[in-house]
Amino acid sequence: MRGITKRFPGVVANDGVDFAAATGEVHALLGENGAGKSTLSNILTGLYRPDEGEILVYCRPVEFSAPRDALDAGICMVHQHFRLVERFTVAENVVLGDHRREGRTFRLRYRTIERRVAELGERYGLAVDPRARVWQLSVGEQQRVEILKALYLDARILILDEPTAVLTPQEAQVLFETLREMAADGRTVIFISHKLHEVKAVADRVTVLRGGHAVATVSAAEATPRSLAVLMVGHGLGEGAPPKARAPGEVVLGLEDVSAAGDRGGAAVRGVSLAVRAGEIVALAGVAGNGQRELAETVAGMRAPTGGVVRVAGKTPRPGDPRAAIRAGVAYVPEDRLGTGLAPSVSIASNLALKSYREAPASSGPLLRLRRIRERAVELIQRYRIAAPGPAAPVRLLSGGNLQKVVLAREFSGQPKVLVAASPTRGLDVGAIESVHSYLHEAAAAGVGVLLISEDLDEILTLADRIAVMYEGEVVGETARADASVEEIGLLMAGGNDPRRD
Amino acid sequence: MVAVPAASLVFAFFASGLVLLATGHNALSSYRRLFDAAFVANGALGQTLVSATPLAFTGLAAAAAFRMRLFNIGGEGQLLVGAITAAAAGLYFGGSGGPSAFAIAAMVVAGCAGGAAWALIPGILRAFFRTNEIITSLMLNYVAAYLLTYLIFNTQSYWRQTTGFNAAVFPTSKDLPSSALWPGATIHLRGGILLPLGAGFAVLAAAVLWVLYSRTRFGFEAQVLGDSPRAARYAGMRTRRKILAVMAISGAIAGLGGASQDGDFRHTLDADPNGLQRQYYGYSGIVVAALARYNPFAVLLVAFLVGGLQNAGNTLQGADFPSGLVGVIQGIILFSALGGELLVRYRIRISRRPAAAPPAPEAA
Amino acid sequence: MSRGKSVRAVALLASASLAVLALTAATGSARTEQRSSAFKVAWIYVGPHNDHGWSQAHDQGRLYVQKQLGSKVQTTFKENVAVGPQLQQTVASLVRDGYKLIFGTSYGYFDTKLAAKYPQVLFEQATGTQTAKNLSEYFGAAEDTVYLSGMAAGAATKKGTLGYVVAYPIPEVIRHANAFALGAQLMHPGAKVKLVWTNSWFDPSKEKHAAESLFSSGADVLGQNVDSPATGEFAQSKHVPWVGYDSNAKKFAPTSWLTASVYHWGPYYVRRVKAAMNGTWKSGFYYGTIKDGFTGLAPYGPKVSKATKAAIAKKMQAIKTGKFYEFAGPLYDQKGKLRVPKGKRLNVQQLYAMNWLVRGVIGSPKG
Repeated sequence: MRGITKRFPGVVANDGVDFAAATGEVHALLGENGAGKSTLSNILTGLYRPDEGEILVYCRPVEFSAPRDALDAGICMVHQHFRLVERFTVAENVVLGDHRREGRTFRLRYRTIERRVAELGERYGLAVDPRARVWQLSVGEQQRVEILKALYLDARILILDEPTAVLTPQEAQVLFETLREMAADGRTVIFISHKLHEVKAVADRVTVLRGGHAVATVSAAEATPRSLAVLMVGHGLGEGAPPKARAPGEVVLGLEDVSAAGDRGGAAVRGVSLAVRAGEIVALAGVAGNGQRELAETVAGMRAPTGGVVRVAGKTPRPGDPRAAIRAGVAYVPEDRLGTGLAPSVSIASNLALKSYREAPASSGPLLRLRRIRERAVELIQRYRIAAPGPAAPVRLLSGGNLQKVVLAREFSGQPKVLVAASPTRGLDVGAIESVHSYLHEAAAAGVGVLLISEDLDEILTLADRIAVMYEGEVVGETARADASVEEIGLLMAGGNDPRRD
Repeated sequence: MVAVPAASLVFAFFASGLVLLATGHNALSSYRRLFDAAFVANGALGQTLVSATPLAFTGLAAAAAFRMRLFNIGGEGQLLVGAITAAAAGLYFGGSGGPSAFAIAAMVVAGCAGGAAWALIPGILRAFFRTNEIITSLMLNYVAAYLLTYLIFNTQSYWRQTTGFNAAVFPTSKDLPSSALWPGATIHLRGGILLPLGAGFAVLAAAVLWVLYSRTRFGFEAQVLGDSPRAARYAGMRTRRKILAVMAISGAIAGLGGASQDGDFRHTLDADPNGLQRQYYGYSGIVVAALARYNPFAVLLVAFLVGGLQNAGNTLQGADFPSGLVGVIQGIILFSALGGELLVRYRIRISRRPAAAPPAPEAA
Repeated sequence: MSRGKSVRAVALLASASLAVLALTAATGSARTEQRSSAFKVAWIYVGPHNDHGWSQAHDQGRLYVQKQLGSKVQTTFKENVAVGPQLQQTVASLVRDGYKLIFGTSYGYFDTKLAAKYPQVLFEQATGTQTAKNLSEYFGAAEDTVYLSGMAAGAATKKGTLGYVVAYPIPEVIRHANAFALGAQLMHPGAKVKLVWTNSWFDPSKEKHAAESLFSSGADVLGQNVDSPATGEFAQSKHVPWVGYDSNAKKFAPTSWLTASVYHWGPYYVRRVKAAMNGTWKSGFYYGTIKDGFTGLAPYGPKVSKATKAAIAKKMQAIKTGKFYEFAGPLYDQKGKLRVPKGKRLNVQQLYAMNWLVRGVIGSPKG
């Protein structure tokens, strides 16, 4: 791939990326979320068209106008979220992706297909019964089916998008062996990840993406986790004006050995202890999916902890009860703005009253005071400069930045003691990011204890007084802003000093 | 503003006109007869109200639940159970020699309670076991119908008339005592229009629903919950309680419709398989609610119009006009109204497939 | 809440309904009053007029009236009319359209209250029990002809087990089931008649299921007291003899068809319409018989032997002359209890309240 550029409205996802993977190698594509990895692979598989640049497959320039063209060129992708029909058997799923040979015939010869699937499975150590129904399989087995699909199509170039995110360490080890096997067979494996030790374990070479640029391609054997971390998060971050010194007060949010389960069961948060004082911003750094969302939801009462205590301003609100958390003074800016933070089809005014409608002045007795709610909405729309057609408009009509302003306006106006903000700037443009940052500063200045959950080290270093890093459900490091080093944080985020792996 | 319904109406008349012409009928005179029989002729408005009143109840019941995206398809069963419980109250208190108002009040309460209880079954299953309420409430319609048949045809129940020659010939329910019959107000216009008491209750129920849904905390919560259960939970709303409450309200309104059937129109618990059970008011009510976009006052209006259509259908059919054709015409009119509504809500656009995939920022 | 939207919805609907009302007003009270001198008679059916059963038999009667009286009468029918408000609406519209005589062909349609509401209109109801000055009841003694059709069935059974598809556990159906069983037992002593209730007069799919279950439980002849020919179609598919009811439905089971008890409504209707036209109509309770030509048997199918035909003809003659009556004692019920002692006969009142099944019938009189 040469000089690939892809622009989205307001974002340049890939900016002149050069990328080359050789036959018979496992090539890792490393980068933080938002670095442009997925965009690049989507271009490679024909899902997106590059705005500039060209793609060469075995030295021949190709142009993909549909994913099918990429398949024909022998490029196949295993997505993070599997594309399988749960009610079908393994063999049926495998043939479903085949639009050239058996898949096109009217009558399917399942015997032959099943035999081939079994053969492939044996050769690459992808043991899975071709006749099993997909819904009966474990996540790891389902992933094998995805890889089998690609092998069945005789893919020469295989892209795996964060394949280990859903696997246990043991399953990951087996996968790595399979990948090496395939590379040894003369195929090309492109392995997308943001986990350093995995990259070290499986890849021959590593291309690091940062902010849409390919910053370097290095040999995995020569790289250290530390050097990769530096490449990944970059230098020169966090060198802006240091935040004004604030005098932190009492502990307003205290987490003591808190554990919580994830949506699919299994522990997502493991024994986290953390304290946030009034008037300080504590950042919880970490790559998404390491338990931050679950932790935030536990604080906000939306998730019942499986262990430990959450204290808010000295009190312990009833666990797993959002209303109790709200009453105790917890404000929560959820990651999922439209859907959790806001009811999409409900009016802006009602969304602004989502947490205050129970009490005066928004209501008296069982009745709502619609005029008060409306007046309040008009006032907040002005104060937070929300660009909206009017308080009665459904909130879903607003842009991302304005949606976030609605959430922030509501959460700040509830005069909270604690504010949990989960990825508050994700997907926003520069202007909106700045205003969100200034609101967070204001909140801290007003004596609110802010817990900021972010993957963006830049953001963390601009805002936070203290930084805690979360990895696989645990706080693996905690440091004051002044002592923080980008390299150290990057390494912690990527599990670089995970004792279980080194 | 009027354009869409007007266009739907024109389309409906055009489409059914084609059907009428194809079957050898004069479209214009058929329409005339339809309108005449529904709204104009002597006594027609009163007869239209007879059809419209139950539809208003079941329409309101459906609207109350559907607004919160609780798909209570069980209006039919809730109406039948309401009719059963209200008839018991009417027989018991009407025969006790007390004042008529007391017997009627008891019927109203019993009808609401019966319908609410029946609706709470799918409500509880939904709130605590996440069972799909569409299926459970639908199934309970059949149970309710069988229960009604059982009470009169297969047992010597409290409701069944057991003495007299007529009772021996064909199983029937006891007639309600006269103090349990609901009075109606007569408007002396066009041969007299009888306003049933139930129609008044329906208007009252619509007003209560409107206030409830647009002016109270309860309605606010229902609205948020209907739009996004996650947001409701985020805001600290008690979602289970709300599901139960909304199902109970929906069922109570349908049950009140059953009470009105007893008190206003049938003056007995109608278990005849060719009677109440064959009207399917509960199902028509869902159509009424959808046409009215779940707005309570609009439900009243739509129920009136659909009631007129049903009433006029009885006039239109005859030796030269099969009842099936009447059904087709009614279907076309309702379909057009719904279709126009859908066209407005989901603007259908036909466009060429874009060459490139739609832009979407990277989300890993 | 989105008040704007709901207000708009109301406005839309209000304007739509106004448009409808305006259209209506424009057409004026355009009653299609036909200024003809024809006497207007209407029939109300509980099912479709072409159900190949009960309602169709009445509609043939209506067509007979139209043919006999020609332009002097104008007839119409209303089909699929439910008991209750829909019946009320239908009657109201018929009265508005100038119908002077209305036949209702289902139980529960007309009562004394309705008759009193329209004193200028004459009502006649089939199968009912209420009479008033302008409300008559009429029906036929079909038990006699059902008995004769039961003889045809009894002659056709080999195993001695017959199946009878029945609608509701009500006296009308119970007495027909009894008559059918007695007729079958005359030709095949000790014959058993199994019942399956459908709880509906007209429900082809339920009737078919009932026939299936009777067949699979060993019945080798099928009969019915329901309105559709579904049982016959099933019988034809299994080459099992079949006795119908109400109508000649031979075409649905050409080779399985035996016969059926039928009503000849036409002549009665002509008599009553004529009486209404010339002012001699009187309220009454009519119970037509074979002798009157009101009830009879449909033409036989190919499976009925000459000997059976002769036996049935002989019995029919005996019934006509009053020498034979199927509900004369001694009659025993299912448990063997003597219900009608020797020398006693059941009268019409007792027939209309019959709630027990005769010996040899398998099934419950409670459904």
